[in-house]
Amino acid sequence: MSEKPNYALKFTLVGHTDAVSSVKFSPNGEWLASSSADKVIIIWGAYDGKYEKTLYGHNLEISDVAWSSDSSRLVSASDDKTLKIWDVRSGKCLKTLKGHSNYVFCCNFNPPSNLIISGSFDESVKIWEVKTGKCLKTLSAHSDPVSAVHFNCSGSLIVSGSYDGVCRIWDAASGQCLKTLVDDDNLPISFVKFSPNGRYLLIATLDNTLKLWDYSRGRCLKTYTGHKNEKYCIFANFSVTGGKWIVSGSEDNLVYIWNLQTKEIVQKLQGHTDVVISAACHPTENIIASAALGNDKTIKLWKSNY
Amino acid sequence: MEGDGSDPEPPDAGEDSKSENGENAPIYCICRKPDINCFMIGCDNCNEWFHGDCIRITEKMAKAIREWYCRECREKDPKLEIRYRHKKSRERDSNERDGSEPRDEGGGRKRPAPDPDLQRRAGSGTGVGAMLARGSASPHKSSPQPLVATPSQHHQQQQQIKRSARMCGECEACRRTEDCGHCDFCRDMKKFGGPNKIRQKCRLRQCQLRARLSPVTPSESLPRPRRPLPTQQQPQPSQKLGRIREDEGAVASSAVKEPPEAMATPEPLSDEDLPLDPDLYQDFCAGAFDDHGLPWMSDTEESPFLDPALRKRAVKVKHVKRREKKSEKKKEERYKRHRQKQKHKDKWKHPERADSKDPASLPQCLGPGCVRPAQPGSKYCSDDCGMKLAANRIYEILPQRIQQWQQSPCIAEEHGKKLLERIRREQQSARTRLQEMERRFHELEAIILRAKQQAVREDEESNEGDSDDTDLQIFCVSCGHPINPRVALRHMERCYAKYESQTSFGSMYPTRIEGATRLFCDVYNPQSKTYCKRLQVLCPEHSRDPKVPADEVCGCPLVRDVFELTGDFCRLPKRQCNRHYCWEKLRRAEVDLERVRVWYKLDELFEQERNVRTAMTNRAGLLALMLHQTIQHDPLTTDLRSSADR
Repeated sequence: MSEKPNYALKFTLVGHTDAVSSVKFSPNGEWLASSSADKVIIIWGAYDGKYEKTLYGHNLEISDVAWSSDSSRLVSASDDKTLKIWDVRSGKCLKTLKGHSNYVFCCNFNPPSNLIISGSFDESVKIWEVKTGKCLKTLSAHSDPVSAVHFNCSGSLIVSGSYDGVCRIWDAASGQCLKTLVDDDNLPISFVKFSPNGRYLLIATLDNTLKLWDYSRGRCLKTYTGHKNEKYCIFANFSVTGGKWIVSGSEDNLVYIWNLQTKEIVQKLQGHTDVVISAACHPTENIIASAALGNDKTIKLWKSNY
Repeated sequence: MEGDGSDPEPPDAGEDSKSENGENAPIYCICRKPDINCFMIGCDNCNEWFHGDCIRITEKMAKAIREWYCRECREKDPKLEIRYRHKKSRERDSNERDGSEPRDEGGGRKRPAPDPDLQRRAGSGTGVGAMLARGSASPHKSSPQPLVATPSQHHQQQQQIKRSARMCGECEACRRTEDCGHCDFCRDMKKFGGPNKIRQKCRLRQCQLRARLSPVTPSESLPRPRRPLPTQQQPQPSQKLGRIREDEGAVASSAVKEPPEAMATPEPLSDEDLPLDPDLYQDFCAGAFDDHGLPWMSDTEESPFLDPALRKRAVKVKHVKRREKKSEKKKEERYKRHRQKQKHKDKWKHPERADSKDPASLPQCLGPGCVRPAQPGSKYCSDDCGMKLAANRIYEILPQRIQQWQQSPCIAEEHGKKLLERIRREQQSARTRLQEMERRFHELEAIILRAKQQAVREDEESNEGDSDDTDLQIFCVSCGHPINPRVALRHMERCYAKYESQTSFGSMYPTRIEGATRLFCDVYNPQSKTYCKRLQVLCPEHSRDPKVPADEVCGCPLVRDVFELTGDFCRLPKRQCNRHYCWEKLRRAEVDLERVRVWYKLDELFEQERNVRTAMTNRAGLLALMLHQTIQHDPLTTDLRSSADR
């Protein structure tokens, strides 16, 4: 177990014609899906970075994309107020989920992949059934746009974060709000997700801070700073394949990697020419994929030995 | 304008002040009476009104008159002449007036617009008349042929040019009587040997005022002049039209398909090469189509379980639908372009503006080495330039992309190849199974045949019945009635058939499987427009059990312990045998079902193979390579997997 990773740039994936909004690795590690403001989703090979296919269908920019657990389906959230479920193999849109009244900003599958959760600028969180495409529940979750939604590893809890500075945890089955986490200053929350073991929450706020919370006790355990995040909802991730890191993009065009325990910055990856909006970690290999906004429009693949 | 006395306020006429009646009513005519309840006619010079009776002009005569001046004015100014109207329009006007048509083309009298009070007296044409007066005044004034004074004379001298929605009847183009024979529209006419697809009037005969397309000067309308141009067409003002595009006038769809707005990238791949979403590839790379909005939504619902054996057919339908959508989209595009052209045309109707705009404001064509201005709304001056640029782009970029692609092995490609292998093998095994099935099919038929040839032996009959329990009541599963267990089988079969025959089970497509003798019933139901998809041997709706002759033997191969064939056959007459009721049907159905299953499997495999193949094509196709690029920074690393090649 080394102290620092040595991520090096291996591939640059060019192809989007507008800012990339999100990149995600498929759970089986084969593919990388990238969604963009040019209304398409592109699937790349995760290991060789080669172009695989493009998914067309949305009318407006796409803000987020997420894989199902069997890596066969994608869900995408778009500014055209809809979400679309795609079959990756055939490239077809299987269902369009309509119901939100404003931009859909974030989306995720639950681990059994029979439900989709979405957060939108209309301040609500909706739970959809994959099979029928119907909205099962609408949680009037927040008083400001919802910036992130996530299921925990068992699928029983939902976390939602919003610009109103409030982070809520819900029971997935009943839709009841179980807990509300508010930090002192009510700073807008730009990103939130569960840790892989489901016990902690990683919350990013628009004051250049990432915090690791123990939500059952309602305490902030670790704080990660040094990067720049005041404007965009930048994705952050746990990297568990090698050393235990926290990986996040930043508005100063770098990818920041912190040691989870010691909170110090262990590496900064340079190469992008615009805000790094999304950084994803491969499920099995020490690979990081980072994507940048409109000035750059590329996705970079980095690999480390540890 | 004729007055019929319906107007409330008679306006002040010119010579009103002359005689005060003490009534303060305006007075008219040579008789100087305020009477307005009869037919009146107004002088176009002094604006005085005259009774028709007083000057001996009847209403009918007045219909023929376009401009009328009273005797006094005519005497004072010899230049004023009474002008008459064309015979035809006179007739039409009388018709219109009879039909109380408000659109009265100026019933003989046209007043210059600015006297609204006078207009009001104009009988049937009140405000409308004024408008029409204005409207129809100008062509008359501009008409080069002066009208003869008397109504009788002008019949012969006047050409009878009809007026219509698209013909003003007055302009040079409307006056032409013969088609030029050289313009594209003439050449399309049957009489000039054309296919009659465009169906438009000769270019030189398109009305300058009212035609949908702008008429063209001879030089611009004839792409390949074969004869010297007749001289009488020269005086047509050419700057009226600006630059006419070839496809401008072609209302038919064929011409519109090649707009000067050439696409940024050409389509060397025809639509057939891009089975998935050809439209969207166009949209994606053409860029020029951004203004047409949205890429076509490929939103298809998860298809319900279509009869897989016919999925080929079903798939074909999807293709058809896609093409329909595509053609709809193309129609939409065409329509939008057409509308844009209409807008452009409107601009060109103002000749001066169009001219001054063209050379100055249009950017330069982006074609290689081209210095001509681009077409409005496009980046290129012509298709050729666009194509050349696209070709250059490909020559420039493609080789290095291909090289990049081949630098490292594509993992997905390898997976694809392995998958294809597997599918191949499975297809093989499925086909052998199919052959096996066919063999069984034939065997069964042989057995059935042999069984029929057995003779009947009546004496075995008695063994059957008595040993069964007759106090055990069985209820039929279909109708629910209690039945004797001895005839239970027979009854239930019949009962089931009765209920089943009332429902339909079918799909929209007839079976088209080569090499299959009988599988599905396929009887067409015109009401639901479906073909029956039950097994043909079993379908209760469309096949009746054949009548059993009295001496036919049951023939069912007997078994010991359920599975072991004894080699013996049931000798009971078929009509009486209760144990083996309908055994041939059921056995046949069994075999058929197996065959159907194998066909399903084959179809599935075919579908998978197709998917893999299209993925392989699209991954490194022309468009994919041109639009995307994977830059390798570390020459040693081609594969990010940490373990050695799996």
